[in-house]
Amino acid sequence: MWLCFAPMFSFNQTLKPLLTRFGSMPVAILLLVLLAVASVIGTVLKQNQDQADYLHQFGPVWYWTFRALGLFDMYHTWWFLTILGLLMASLGACLYRNVPRFLQEMRNRKGTLSDNARKHMEYKFDVTFDDKDKAVATVKSSLPDWKWLETESAGTLWLRGDKGRFHKWGYISVHTAMLVILVGGWMSVQFGFRGNMAVPEGASENEISYLRGTGVEYLKMPFEVRCDEFSINFFSTGAPSEFRSKLTILEDGKEMMSSDIIVNEPLYYKGVRIYQASFGDGGSDIKMNLFRLNGEGTVDVANTKVYTKFEDPYSDVSMEIRDFRPYNIENMAAAGKPKKFKDMGPSVDFVIRGKGLKPVLVRSFMEPFYLEDNNQGSMIMISKTGDARDFETYMLGLDFSNKKEWALFQSFLNRLPRTEGATQQDNLAAFRAALDEVYPDGRPDDLPMLGNRVIQSMQVLPDMPWPFVPILDSFDQTYYTGLQLAKDPGMDVVWIGSAILVFGLCIMFYVAHRKVWIKVVEDEGKVTLQVTGLSNRNPVAFEQEFEDLKEQINTAYKQGAS
Amino acid sequence: MNAATTFFGSEGSFFEGRLAHTRFWTYLGIIAGMTGLALFGEGGYVEDNYLFELFSKQGATWLAGGAVLGFALSFIKSASKFRAFRTAEMFVPWLDGAVVMLALMGIYTLFEPTSAMITYEDQSNLVSGRIVMAMNVLLLFSAICYIAHLFAPASFIGQLATFTAWAGVYAGGSALLLRWYESYLLMGGDIGHAPVSNLYEVFILLFCVICVIYLTLESRHQVRGLGAFVLPIVAAGVFFSIWLESIGQADIKPLVPALQSYWMKIHVPLNFVGYGAFAVACAAGAAWLLRNRIEQRNPNSAMLAVFPSLKMLDQLSYKAVAIGFPAFTLATILGAAWAAEAWGGYWSWDPKETWALIVWLVYGAYLHARFSHGLHGKTLAWWAVIGFLVTIFCFIGVNMYLSGLHSYGQLT
Repeated sequence: MWLCFAPMFSFNQTLKPLLTRFGSMPVAILLLVLLAVASVIGTVLKQNQDQADYLHQFGPVWYWTFRALGLFDMYHTWWFLTILGLLMASLGACLYRNVPRFLQEMRNRKGTLSDNARKHMEYKFDVTFDDKDKAVATVKSSLPDWKWLETESAGTLWLRGDKGRFHKWGYISVHTAMLVILVGGWMSVQFGFRGNMAVPEGASENEISYLRGTGVEYLKMPFEVRCDEFSINFFSTGAPSEFRSKLTILEDGKEMMSSDIIVNEPLYYKGVRIYQASFGDGGSDIKMNLFRLNGEGTVDVANTKVYTKFEDPYSDVSMEIRDFRPYNIENMAAAGKPKKFKDMGPSVDFVIRGKGLKPVLVRSFMEPFYLEDNNQGSMIMISKTGDARDFETYMLGLDFSNKKEWALFQSFLNRLPRTEGATQQDNLAAFRAALDEVYPDGRPDDLPMLGNRVIQSMQVLPDMPWPFVPILDSFDQTYYTGLQLAKDPGMDVVWIGSAILVFGLCIMFYVAHRKVWIKVVEDEGKVTLQVTGLSNRNPVAFEQEFEDLKEQINTAYKQGAS
Repeated sequence: MNAATTFFGSEGSFFEGRLAHTRFWTYLGIIAGMTGLALFGEGGYVEDNYLFELFSKQGATWLAGGAVLGFALSFIKSASKFRAFRTAEMFVPWLDGAVVMLALMGIYTLFEPTSAMITYEDQSNLVSGRIVMAMNVLLLFSAICYIAHLFAPASFIGQLATFTAWAGVYAGGSALLLRWYESYLLMGGDIGHAPVSNLYEVFILLFCVICVIYLTLESRHQVRGLGAFVLPIVAAGVFFSIWLESIGQADIKPLVPALQSYWMKIHVPLNFVGYGAFAVACAAGAAWLLRNRIEQRNPNSAMLAVFPSLKMLDQLSYKAVAIGFPAFTLATILGAAWAAEAWGGYWSWDPKETWALIVWLVYGAYLHARFSHGLHGKTLAWWAVIGFLVTIFCFIGVNMYLSGLHSYGQLT
């Protein structure tokens, strides 16, 4: 309160104590701990997920509590940014408080050491020589890259040597570096952007979208990105080895540049980096054959596209095309056996709906399924929950990619004796007659398997709930490439900060400030060097070093004498 | 130890004085040559080709050039300083060790089965698996010896412990190198990559790093008692990696596109220098706590003779952090640089990144407590132990429990 009544508050009265308080260790540690704890929350609670998922996961009470605290996009909330801001303030205050003192300490070196202080020091020894000048010279040459200072005090000569005197620069640079990095991060957030765009092959796009809080925001780019081509390369295991997009940048309809990008090799244009992030189906053309289960053997064609809905004109059934995959590489080996990869060929995913039908997700394959070169007929997969993880495989019996088999099936079905008590013989005769009709030029090669397939489909197809069997016939694939666009003006600042940080850490950890004081005591023609050492770091190594020094001085003195 | 005036060092040792110095600079030259080849070599850096390029005429020129340059530089550098060759003497044994590992790997390749017996689907015939198993046995044996050494301080058991730990390091390091070579034998060299791409491989790397850091400290400060705390950590890891192998996680698999970058070869090993050093710090902290307890309860215990002093353990714990913290910082920064290149942002608050930050904050606070508050002893010993638990979570826990951009570390 006194602030309001103080007409002339000065820097020293108000800001200085505040800075002192702020730059203190407990505050710094508190902030570091707060930051760490908050960060843990952000990793345990998955960030930026679908709001409906959160609601489902936590229930309404916790959902709204978490939402109010911004925990679903925690790293952008005001309170998290405040912690970072306070950390910056604390770093600044700490530097403000300590740097002048450190610079002072580095500049001023006390040449003498009181006897009392020496008594409490751990590393010391005395050596006695004959010649004063030579002794001093020997000491100096034993520690050649040390900085020496000679002081006369009460008629006695003092030598002070320093090594690694600049080690306090380590402290200064590390803390400055952290400040620089945080400033760089702030610049990135304030003046940069980062978002995604999906560009279908052959199309172009100029808007990115990104998540902010619980919503999605959009931003227009000053240029357009056109995807000329997207391609995937595979390892022979079926795992993708490379995603590649051929991009062209357009400005006002003019082509500015063309380039390929892959993961780890982005494109750079006018301060914006364009990264390969994901891919998906860009609305491929799909042609499906609909095999009518009306007893007449009609086959209709459904020409459609991914992401569109196909309405069957002859029934109230519709198919909502969800996805198309050109490859379906699966491990066919039983669990525990060596892996055997097999491409099941192209497939289309769609949700089928209709009156009285339970909507299900269907995956229809273009090619029949082969087991050791034996044609097992076409297959579809059905997921009753709509989740791709719940797919169950259904073998349809017939190979629908071969229209003759469908004709054979129909012909056989029509010839089957309807009366009770028909014998195996009658059925076989009906099958033979159907074969003669569909294959007039002779029996097909895989007749036994064909027979099996027809028999299996006799069991399966009548149970189909849909009025037709939808089988993928052909496709014209289009991908979209998922790009990430980012502009980051703070990045270079962060790199500079990082370089200073590493440099500072190396000084802090590996440069010890070692000092020696040598009192040169002359007594009856003899000279005694009272050597005292101090190191601010690594006492174990210094102890060894200090012992070596004694030996070194002795040896050097003797060598100099001879 | 007047290394300055004699050419071969006063003891004439291979690892001291001028000889170490010259060798050190030659190694540095070779490394510079390798970097030069990657950056400026004809045809540029191609992930799959680089290893072969090293052995081509161009590669040999770069390496030899670097070696000669380094050799020459070693004579230019002044040798008149007190403890002049200290840096070289510190680093040269490690580089020598790397050369030995390379040679061992070369020998192993002679025992590789014919290509008909090696398939991607069945990798059980590869030699590296056997060497890794030998490493497992050696390290477990070493852990037992170190613990036995606490109770029976006969020098022979201690020496055996140290020897088997070193043998384990050489087995592990050379097995990793061999795995690198073997990855080129599969699928026609299509999927070759450095052996730091999955949990199993980095575990082997971690064992080697922990042991090398510890053994270096052991030989420098004569602190064999600490091994009884370090090697059991390694042994626990060995059991984990044996389990990984048993569930089929040890296979060489192709790299996902996001990992196909030279950054992987720098970022991952450097991170494990950090993790390994923190493990040693934790062991020293645990040893401090145990010794402290024994001293209070039973000051005449014979075991105390084997333990390093409390002051020494405190120092060792700090020394390990002093190795780990800068390495971990640099690794995180390089990870950020890689992320900037591959994902479009240097920092995404991805769980792995965030936990790396948490680890960094924990050890940063440790250093503040030590230097600004002058804290020593018990608190810091506990700090080192708990810090390592956080590190373990960052290393394994994040991969297993939290998904994110680092999900390739997950078990599949």
